[in-house]
Amino acid sequence: MGVRTTARIVGAQLRLSCLEALAYRVGFWSDGVVGVLWGAIGVIPLLVAIEHRPDVAGWSAWELMLLSGLFMVVSGIFSGFLQPALRASMEHIRRGSLDYLLLRPVSPLVLCLVADFAPWSGLEIIAGISLCVVSLAKLGVSPSFAELGLAAAVFAAGIIALYALGIMALALSFRALRLQNLTDFMETLLDFARWPTSAFSGPLKAFFTFVIPFAVMTTRPAEGLLGRLDVSSAAVAVTTSLVLMSLAWILWRRSLRLYTSASS
Amino acid sequence: MSRGLGRLAVVGALWRLGFAEAVAYRASLAVWILTTTFPLVSLALWAGIARAGGPVGGYGEADFVAYFVAAFMVRQLTASWVVWDLERQIRLGELSVYLLRPVPPVLHHAVTNLAALPVRLLLALPLAAVVLVAAGGLAVAGDPVVLLLLPPALVGAWLLNFTIQVAVACLAFWWQRSATLFEIWTCLFVVLSGYAVPTSLFPGALARVVVWLPFHAILGFPVELLLGRLDRGEALQFLGLQWLWLGLFTAIAALVWRRGVRAYGAFGA
Repeated sequence: MGVRTTARIVGAQLRLSCLEALAYRVGFWSDGVVGVLWGAIGVIPLLVAIEHRPDVAGWSAWELMLLSGLFMVVSGIFSGFLQPALRASMEHIRRGSLDYLLLRPVSPLVLCLVADFAPWSGLEIIAGISLCVVSLAKLGVSPSFAELGLAAAVFAAGIIALYALGIMALALSFRALRLQNLTDFMETLLDFARWPTSAFSGPLKAFFTFVIPFAVMTTRPAEGLLGRLDVSSAAVAVTTSLVLMSLAWILWRRSLRLYTSASS
Repeated sequence: MSRGLGRLAVVGALWRLGFAEAVAYRASLAVWILTTTFPLVSLALWAGIARAGGPVGGYGEADFVAYFVAAFMVRQLTASWVVWDLERQIRLGELSVYLLRPVPPVLHHAVTNLAALPVRLLLALPLAAVVLVAAGGLAVAGDPVVLLLLPPALVGAWLLNFTIQVAVACLAFWWQRSATLFEIWTCLFVVLSGYAVPTSLFPGALARVVVWLPFHAILGFPVELLLGRLDRGEALQFLGLQWLWLGLFTAIAALVWRRGVRAYGAFGA
């Protein structure tokens, strides 16, 4: 299977989802408006912390807003691309209609990850990017090209880590049915990506750095934009996400063998 | 068999049904409970902030631990998910089957939701216990009169949560995706109820306003009651407020349900 075929499939599914999103406008409210609203309301606990403290774990108010902006981008990618695809694929697994995907001459994992999209969540991504730009302007920080590049690379690794977690959830749903709510669990946990990982201590800090690496998704990229990220931390972040993706791939291969379709 | 006894037998059967469902899909239930561990992560966060720089607005490290463990347990005890089930049943027309049965559909949902509570507690209690042992115990209210108010407060919180969900779900009779509205409600709930952060830490005026909202009546009030952060007068006042909200939302839910069922019939479903 070539890269071009894959790209064409992704493109076709995106087009289909966009057409559907335009046909049923309810998604504008459920995906777009709720996403942006949640992004905005969720800032309140951060504001409460800043109200009582000059900074949170060394992060000032607008630095925290930058982190929140990055969080909204990650959250938008999750609820716009990953979550709908996972839900649709888990439903295929539960009903046995995954057969139709497995029969196609393309990698089943790719087909599962493009099974459905929610384009209106793009609003949350746009709002997140705007918040990042405003925060950087307020801080008077203008990242150099090298800093931007490093931040972008780590952010990409963060998205890979996010997808790795999604693939693991999908693999688990072969074993236990009715696990659609695993994506809700991810969504809930994701909310803590608003906080710098250094605000947590002990095992939870390690957990959010290596197991569910919010550090790679938001904290490190934000540090990169602020010019506080050194190359070794960036390397650790990228390695973390690559290890997670390898684990996810192994788990997926093993789980796929367990699949017994609807009739057998 | 008398009518009352018959009703009781039906409720018993529904209870067993709900319990069996909860046990059958225990993996799913366990994930739901994991989803509600949100306060436990908030706990780590705020306790960490308090440890680093001293108490935050009257909450020291131990107070945060007690607060969020209590919030976790209250959330477990007052959980229901009727909005998702009822909305789907209305949207897909499955409700027709339930309307034909001799049990009111809302009672069916209430009993099956309640029946999952024991399983929920069984899965959640060890988690709460581990956190409490690790953190060194939970100081509850010293005044027995205040503690006596806890059961009605919890019942009220469960009923309020349930009634609001029914009211929102019933909007699906006219507006197919009413669950979206509940998602917006949940967004507000997480922040304004004291679930993500104690409401007393909000800046002055906001802190005084949010305690009068139904969000706080569902979660923040029972939690603060349990922890002894309210004196007798305040506790009674907030309990009254909670049941006032309950009365209001019950009236709304009853109205929307009655009108809705009529509109539903008009589709020919």
